[in-house]
Amino acid sequence: MSKKHAIRLTVNGRQYEAEVEPRVTLVDFLRHQLGLTGTHVGCEHGVCGACTVMVNGRAVRSCLMLAVQADGAEVVTIEGLSEDGRLHPIQEAFAEAHGLQCGFCTPGFVMSAYELLTRESEVDEGTIKEVLGGVLCRCTGYKAIYESVQLAARKMGKMPA
Amino acid sequence: MVSQAEWHLPRSLEELPISSPRYIGKPVRKVEAPPLLTGRAQFADDLDLPGMLHCAILRSPYGHARIKRIDVSAALELPGVVAVVTGQDMQQWVRPMGGIPSGWGTHCLAVDKVRFVGEPIAAVAAVDRHTAEDALDLIEVEFEPLPAVVNALEAKEEGAPLLYEDKGTNVMFHRLFTWGDAAKAFQEADHVLTEQFRWHRLGANPIETFGVIAQWDPVENAVTCWGSFQAPSFSAMGIAGALGLPLSKVKLVPMAHGGSFGGKGNPRGALIAAVLSRKAGGRPVKWIEDRLEYLMAGGGQAWERFYEASIAVKNDGTILGIRIKLVDDIGASGENSGAISAIKPLAAFTGCYAIPAAQYEVTMVATNKNPQSAYRGMGPPAHYVVLEGMVDIAARHLGLDPAEMRRRNFIPPDRFPYTIPSGNEYDSGNYPALLDRLLEMSSYQELRRQQEELRRQGRLVGLGLVSAVEPGAFNMNVYTILGVPAGTAVPEGATVALDPFGSVRVTVGFALEGQGQYTFVTQLMADYFCVTPDQVKVTCTDTLSAPVHFGPGGSRLAVALTGAVLGAAEALRRKLETAASYLLGCEPGQVEMMDGMLRVKGQPERRMSWQEVVGAMSARPDLFPPGMDLSTQATYVWVPPDRNMPDEQGRAKSYLTAAAACHLALVEVDPETGKVDVLKYWVVDDCGTRLNPATVAGMTQGGVAQGIGAALMEEYVYDADGQLLTTTFMDYLLPTIYEVPPVESAEMVTPSPFTPLGVKGMGEGPMISAPAAVICAVNDALAPLGVRVTDVPASPARVWQAIAQARGQG
Amino acid sequence: MKPAPFEYIRCSSLDEAIRALSDLGEEAKLLAGGQSLVPMLNMRLVRPKALVDINGVQSLSYIREEDGWLAIGSLTRQRDIEKSPLVKAAHPLLHEATLHIGHPQIRNRGTIGGSIAHAFPSAEYPAVVVAVDGRIKVVGPSGERTVPARQFFTGIMSTALDVGEVIAEVQVPRLAQDSGWGFVEFTRRHGDFAIAGAIAIVQQDGPVVRNAEVTVFGVGPVPVVCQAASQALIGEQHGDTAVARAAEAVERDLQEVEVISDVHASADYRRHLARVMVKRALLQALERARSARP
Repeated sequence: MSKKHAIRLTVNGRQYEAEVEPRVTLVDFLRHQLGLTGTHVGCEHGVCGACTVMVNGRAVRSCLMLAVQADGAEVVTIEGLSEDGRLHPIQEAFAEAHGLQCGFCTPGFVMSAYELLTRESEVDEGTIKEVLGGVLCRCTGYKAIYESVQLAARKMGKMPA
Repeated sequence: MVSQAEWHLPRSLEELPISSPRYIGKPVRKVEAPPLLTGRAQFADDLDLPGMLHCAILRSPYGHARIKRIDVSAALELPGVVAVVTGQDMQQWVRPMGGIPSGWGTHCLAVDKVRFVGEPIAAVAAVDRHTAEDALDLIEVEFEPLPAVVNALEAKEEGAPLLYEDKGTNVMFHRLFTWGDAAKAFQEADHVLTEQFRWHRLGANPIETFGVIAQWDPVENAVTCWGSFQAPSFSAMGIAGALGLPLSKVKLVPMAHGGSFGGKGNPRGALIAAVLSRKAGGRPVKWIEDRLEYLMAGGGQAWERFYEASIAVKNDGTILGIRIKLVDDIGASGENSGAISAIKPLAAFTGCYAIPAAQYEVTMVATNKNPQSAYRGMGPPAHYVVLEGMVDIAARHLGLDPAEMRRRNFIPPDRFPYTIPSGNEYDSGNYPALLDRLLEMSSYQELRRQQEELRRQGRLVGLGLVSAVEPGAFNMNVYTILGVPAGTAVPEGATVALDPFGSVRVTVGFALEGQGQYTFVTQLMADYFCVTPDQVKVTCTDTLSAPVHFGPGGSRLAVALTGAVLGAAEALRRKLETAASYLLGCEPGQVEMMDGMLRVKGQPERRMSWQEVVGAMSARPDLFPPGMDLSTQATYVWVPPDRNMPDEQGRAKSYLTAAAACHLALVEVDPETGKVDVLKYWVVDDCGTRLNPATVAGMTQGGVAQGIGAALMEEYVYDADGQLLTTTFMDYLLPTIYEVPPVESAEMVTPSPFTPLGVKGMGEGPMISAPAAVICAVNDALAPLGVRVTDVPASPARVWQAIAQARGQG
Repeated sequence: MKPAPFEYIRCSSLDEAIRALSDLGEEAKLLAGGQSLVPMLNMRLVRPKALVDINGVQSLSYIREEDGWLAIGSLTRQRDIEKSPLVKAAHPLLHEATLHIGHPQIRNRGTIGGSIAHAFPSAEYPAVVVAVDGRIKVVGPSGERTVPARQFFTGIMSTALDVGEVIAEVQVPRLAQDSGWGFVEFTRRHGDFAIAGAIAIVQQDGPVVRNAEVTVFGVGPVPVVCQAASQALIGEQHGDTAVARAAEAVERDLQEVEVISDVHASADYRRHLARVMVKRALLQALERARSARP
């Protein structure tokens, strides 16, 4: 074991202070040290995208970032999207458009869509596909996921109805 | 519990005790969605128990080697390590796993020999996964490498290196089935066409790998396992058998799965974690298979096949017979259920066609590779590449359009139920109508015209049209051929409980996996008892308390679970009717339930709600005669009716339902690179009554995506020493959104006469048809060049090879 | 699949990083975006004693134009390069190449310096800097030096970087106004590493090709500048025949190259794909050159 480092970060609006071993990835830290198990691990080598979270306003693979690197960062995970039990419009759209089956990759898609729909003022088929292209789903065949994000974009005024 | 023979379950939505369905049959939102969308659903790795240890597994670097010595002393000394197990411990505490074919099982940790790269050799339990992996580095193993055999055709020959010396052969199973007068069919044919096919290894690869937490109880001598078990009660039997425990001492708690597709059935992980927990004095031990482990040695490798097929046809296109010879590379043991995949085609051997005679020769061979597992479709996806491929070859030879060739051979709609030569009975279907609908929806004639034009411009555009039958409501009777100890039923049970406040609680034995079963149960119960969906709750319970069940698999739950919950609901209805007769003051038999009300027949104003009746049954036993059953819950175990054991040619009524589909793929082959793009895709399917059309549409799109992956991208590649070369998701290629076009689909409904509500299983169908459709399309594209690709996947390299061969460069 | 233990050193300046790297020697690894390094750590394919993290060195993140060159700080995220109006205008080839790197979620973290230091044979940025004859500015214990990109890549995942040296800046010359460029890749899936890729930059005088630069990547250990292919085109009338001849000439350029063979493509197939990619890149480039002319 190597020396632990003290880190401070904000996750879903809440401040955390923790000691982490450098080799602990951000996803393992979120899941096992903070108990935020909504972010999932699918491959641990950056291909499947299930572990996507927001770090300082950008969607990133949390299996490819060390927890110690998140010192001072602002992190948003799937748990941070709904407020008072009310689904975020993106989550709402996924439920409405049947954009999930087993739901394991879903946080990766939702967080990827979240970056797109919070950063861009307008999106189109190409930009939606581009971010969805970075996450693997084995159940849905993507059509309903695309339709969910399209629906969310419309709900959020980022795409003409 | 009520036996299945006592009454007739509703055969259609019209027979339900309601005026009209509000939920069932409609695209209702999934009840499973909110917890999954908010990160609250609990998967195996989300569970954290007090004192929990973490397991890492040391795996074989060799395809085939003798283990001379294992030294774990340094690993045990590493701070944080609590227990280490090796094959020696396993010999002491665990019996070898059963195998299919029977007799081909092995130990969960290698004893004396390793037989594939990735085979578990030793395992460590430590305070965290990192430390456990550190400890693996400290285990010393001395190997004596042995020659590996990785090609099934070589492995089955005499003189090949033997995986199991005591067996004297690598051939695990050999059988020739003959159905009808095949010899005569081939004699009388105007044309006999022959081709070879090769289906390479691929597999399930759900985004969540397998995970388990095992806790040994040293006092009770019992074990509890939380994990992503697809068929919990059957897994419990396997674990109990291996650990030598009665079933009462094995509790499996199924957790939500991040997909399964058959690819989580490997029993080693649970056994290893259980023994580690035992060695660690009963501390819980978690093992989460990582992706590298999954790819190399998990339940993710299926079907590796060499086929030789002949088709006998007349000049008018009539198919007289088909012969298929299969050599199936099962891998290093029968510990997973992969071998079943070679036998499942018996349930739909001749597809949608009235082919009178067939022959099937099956040879299963052991090689130094990861043992084959189950995967969605379970064999028929490969079988249909061959069958549909041969139909296309015959059509091309005779100058017939593939659609016309199929139409001439379809089983006529008036001949159902129809028994196919390999023994199964198809319940119902209308294949010409499916085809017509597909041709119309896709503007097939126009597509063919455009294809002609594009071909003139030198573009390689192809259409693949296939039709296939999906055996549904999985049965194990045919697998007794392989020595599987089974009978004619795979049961599914459910308990339905009512309370006076209007809630309907349903208990099942399987966890969330993605197919939306909790949703259709909710729809059905909300309709049946006239409540809102949020008054219905479906809960999964552990194997010690769950009703008898199997769970999802083999396209069965739409049928089996509908049967189970309807059976329980019907049992409750009868109880309520009897109870209400006392409360309403009339004869039993005069009360009927309708729209949630118990009313006297012919006097609809004399009525009360079921909630009132349940209230009285719960709180006022004094209103009923002594001895009356006043419980307001019922359990029903559904089993498929009218199944039998296979005869000497393997013929049996096996799978109860025969959903059917016609698929059409439009592809373009890049003539310079060999890369295939699927441009458009159409499906018309008939799975009888649709419980939730949105679920069916989702399964269809997802199955087509897996089919495209299978046809074009996914492949496990081994080198000559048995080293796996595709060890990451960079090399084992799952399709992304860019490789899968949106499917345009339409439905037809021919209800099953044999199932509750007329439902048919459909979960595997899209994956069963799609590889064949894509491969047929690729070969249609290549047809002007006079070459074919019969290797699946049709990777760019293989397609380019075929094109180069056509151009004389290959 | 968890990393072996390592020490972690966070740096807030380039000097600090260089000092740490020099002190620790070959057993230390520099951590930038981590999109290639962390998977290798997770798989225990690399087991450094220490990681030197430069993500805190803000001064390494910039995109500027200087004397007809684009100068990009090594820590600049690929996503920022993709979104940069300056890059899009001054170097559309670099912009296009960036779009081919993985996925947005990868580019959000991945850096240009990381991509170049990692030197994967099929990576886009090494190919671009070689194709445009760019330069890599490195800083080390003995000071600063600028290495021509064409001398920087020395083999599969190996570079001219010495122990203790850090890439500080990547410099690419602005494309000439009248040049046309082409960038193509052959991948199994969208976002995958290229099995073969090609970059072409051409200039024309009327119908005659005045200048051509062809580079292939993903084929050999390092990006290959294809002199024979370029020569086959220079001075020719642009058109399908000349392009086909140039594509054939790639065979000569690859003669001395140890062509990669893996599960996706044999060496022969890769050679073939290289020719096809060169042809397609040239067709793109010629088309752009035509519309670029006044």
